[in-house]
Amino acid sequence: MDKQLDLLQGTLDMLILKAVSLGPLHGYGILLRIQQISKDRLEIQQGSLYPALYRLEHQGWIASEWGESENKRKAKYYTLTGAGKRRLQAETDNWNSMADVIAGILGTKPEEV
Amino acid sequence: MTFWSRLRSWWNATLRRSRMESEMDGELRFHIEAYADDLARSGVSREEAMRRARIDFGGIERVKEEGREARGAKIIETLLQDLRYGARVLRKSPGFTIVAVLTLSLGIGANTAIFSLVDGILLRPLPFAAPQSLVSITGTFPKGGFVAMREQVQSLDTAAYFEGHEFNLTGRGDPLRLSGVLVSAEFFSVLGARPELGRAFYPGEDTAGSDNYVILSHSLWEQRFGADPSILGHSIELEGVSREVVGVMPAEFTFPSAKTEVWLPLDNDPRDTVAYWGGDFMPIIGRLRPGSAISRARAEIRMFQSRVPKLFPWPMPADWNADISVVELRNGMVADVRSRLFLLLGAVGLILLIACVNVANLALSRAATREKEIAIRTAMGAERGRVVRQLLTESVLLALLGGLLGIFLATQGLHLLKAALPADTPRLADTHIDWRVLAFTGGLAVLTGLLFGLAPALYSSRAALSQSLNAATRGAGVSVSHRLRSALAIAEVAFAVLLVIAAGLLIRSFVALSHVDPGFRAERVLTARVTPNQEFCSDPSRCISFYRELLGRLQAVPAVHAVAVVNTLPLGGRVAKRSLEIENEAVPPGEAMPLFWMDVVTPDYLRVMKIPVVAGRGFTSADDSGNARVALVTASTARRFWPGRSPIGTHVRLSGDTDWRTVVGIVSDVRAYDLQKNIPDWINGTIYFPYAANATLEGGRIPSDMTVVIQSSLEESQLQSVLRRTVAGLNPEVPASEVKPMRAVVSESVSTPASTTVLFVAFAALALVLGLIGIYGVLSYLVSKRTREIGIRLALGAQRRDVLWLVMKEGAKFSLFGISLGLASALGITRLLASELYGVSPADPATFLAAAVLMASVTLLACYIPTRRAMRVDPILALRHQ
Repeated sequence: MDKQLDLLQGTLDMLILKAVSLGPLHGYGILLRIQQISKDRLEIQQGSLYPALYRLEHQGWIASEWGESENKRKAKYYTLTGAGKRRLQAETDNWNSMADVIAGILGTKPEEV
Repeated sequence: MTFWSRLRSWWNATLRRSRMESEMDGELRFHIEAYADDLARSGVSREEAMRRARIDFGGIERVKEEGREARGAKIIETLLQDLRYGARVLRKSPGFTIVAVLTLSLGIGANTAIFSLVDGILLRPLPFAAPQSLVSITGTFPKGGFVAMREQVQSLDTAAYFEGHEFNLTGRGDPLRLSGVLVSAEFFSVLGARPELGRAFYPGEDTAGSDNYVILSHSLWEQRFGADPSILGHSIELEGVSREVVGVMPAEFTFPSAKTEVWLPLDNDPRDTVAYWGGDFMPIIGRLRPGSAISRARAEIRMFQSRVPKLFPWPMPADWNADISVVELRNGMVADVRSRLFLLLGAVGLILLIACVNVANLALSRAATREKEIAIRTAMGAERGRVVRQLLTESVLLALLGGLLGIFLATQGLHLLKAALPADTPRLADTHIDWRVLAFTGGLAVLTGLLFGLAPALYSSRAALSQSLNAATRGAGVSVSHRLRSALAIAEVAFAVLLVIAAGLLIRSFVALSHVDPGFRAERVLTARVTPNQEFCSDPSRCISFYRELLGRLQAVPAVHAVAVVNTLPLGGRVAKRSLEIENEAVPPGEAMPLFWMDVVTPDYLRVMKIPVVAGRGFTSADDSGNARVALVTASTARRFWPGRSPIGTHVRLSGDTDWRTVVGIVSDVRAYDLQKNIPDWINGTIYFPYAANATLEGGRIPSDMTVVIQSSLEESQLQSVLRRTVAGLNPEVPASEVKPMRAVVSESVSTPASTTVLFVAFAALALVLGLIGIYGVLSYLVSKRTREIGIRLALGAQRRDVLWLVMKEGAKFSLFGISLGLASALGITRLLASELYGVSPADPATFLAAAVLMASVTLLACYIPTRRAMRVDPILALRHQ
């Protein structure tokens, strides 16, 4: 809340998959949801969102469809696909174990070595 | 699933581009507007909200670009982009593009056309079964020699054939003169060719008495017999002899030539010694028997050649078939054409080289002027590979355009070539542009594109990084490629000089040929072959009175000045020869009697053809009346056989005759065989006899295939119909063929040198134009690069003529080096042309000088515009220019 964190390399894709897994969203909505969940502690370059979306769609992890937004504008909504669900699971597991390992390393005290 | 989604996304990205683009636009616009809405809700003015939304979003174009990349649109996208960009660049410099594409298409077009010829005539396998084992024996044999070979040689199955016989087809509508080939019985089986109808000849059917068969060509069968299959087993009348039709060959069988209409068996008869051992000397083809190599066949044929002269009833000259060998049939068939085709191929190869050099030069010059553009692109993050690829794409695009246009030019050119080449060129009918030729051209186009694209691409992308952004060092970029460009321009000039010299030599040779005095006057003379059956002429008096009656009727036509008949029309392509005995000239033992070209004529012949009598008298009607024993000789024959004395009053006789003839006059020489020689080398002299029963050919018959020559002031077409009517009225069984003016006979005799010359002149003109463009390109680039330098020089007081010299010096350098190089290489290379030349040496100094002067003037012309531009440089503008 006080200080914004730069996004770690390669984590944007994971965050997008997670955001979309909670329900269909358009691009701007994804941005808002990530900021909302992170309580505005993550700084996401607005422009960098779209190449990431296209990449994920190209991989087949998300699918898109045109719909109508809250304020009656045409917007493109993204949903998670089956493959995307599996991917998100794998990424999450991977992230968690990685975080454990790194936290473990960083938490090491001199007498433990 | 992911595969399909990728494919769909890629499909959408590449092939439904505009939809993808508009969707991307809409999506991004929605984002910015939604964000702006949120900002506006927090109290910012609408305008300010939009502004901040755009700033916060970042570079839209970059996002789009990354988005496209992410969608996998990139590979094709890059190519499309390169192509689009390349097309735009090419469109923006139309001068360069047009010149480059034209240059390439001319080079590629000329090459494709000539390659199609080479492919059709030399490369494509013969249309026979197992063509690789077919051979040709380089040497000719009479029937007796061939029969001995057939019996003795183990490694080959052999067959003999003889072209050049003609047969009257009568009894079915208008009489027709057919071109036929006499063949040994195994001819078709050796070639592995099957008739489409009926059968080939059986062994033994080439023996006298059992040879009354004939095989028809497909076109004759179709045109004359309405493609009626029931013709098989029926007889047709050829030369008054009935022959049973046993087969019809398919249309694609055109051996030995496309004009063959009938194949007849030989009539081998050992008892007829003269015909059996002294008649037609026939070419021999063979098929290697399984397991025998061509080298073995060659050795065996040489062995056979050492034995065969002993079989002859008379001594054979030692040099007869001395260099006999066995070669692949494909090579043997086209031996004469081969060297000429390779010459043409060499010439067009040079053209393509010049074209490539030219385009490379143009591209190099242009690459240098694009240094700045490329430098900017590199500075903005373009990878080197990407720049090189872009430039290569442009080059290949150019080459493909050139290739396409080239194929078009080639199809047109091949029509022209086929029309220009003599119709009797073997396998000419087989040539067409097919996929192999297209592949050759396509390969050539791409290769050329890479060839001329690569050097400039690598050069400019390398140069770009270091130099061009820095205007002060701008001149330095020039020197690196300048050497390369100069070398290219010099090479171009040298190639052009080579072609101009070749063309010049051929022109001189052709002019020399056209100025040859043939010894007769072709003007207002109509010729026609009027040929009764041999059967009809077996009674000489019947034959002679037929011709006499015909001449009488023609003479009676108003406006006909004189008419005559002759057995061998000068330049008509036929030879009549006899061995002659000269009184008091003993032939040394072991040597053959001299061979004479025998002209059998009616008295007015010399008058019709305006052949002057040098001494003594010509023939008179008194000589015509019966068996007058008189003869004329030509001037060169008189010099050779009666050196230092007059032949008039001396006596000669045909070998085998008992009565002597008196030489009554000397006529001047006539180019009878071709325009280069009066008679072939193997004939020793020329003699004229009046047409009478004692003027016999080698077989003892009198000539029955005479050519009528008519001197008349009548319109040609009128005269032709008068002639045909008269012949038909006299004897409806006698065909009149080859009705044409003597002028046409003369020009047909030089059709081969004419076509070669025309082609080479066209190539040389092409080379000159391309060379002109090339030098112009290099010089104008140079001038544009040195504008600043020229401005400074002028500002410092240089005179306009110094500037003139500055530019001309470069042009002169190309010209001097290129011409010297061209002359030097021509000295070595024009020897290849020697066989095509008449009356001019391959190292003719006048031609070399003329080519040098012509090339120098062309380079001077190429210098003109750039020089003028340089001299008009305004020092003030030039200095401000950079």
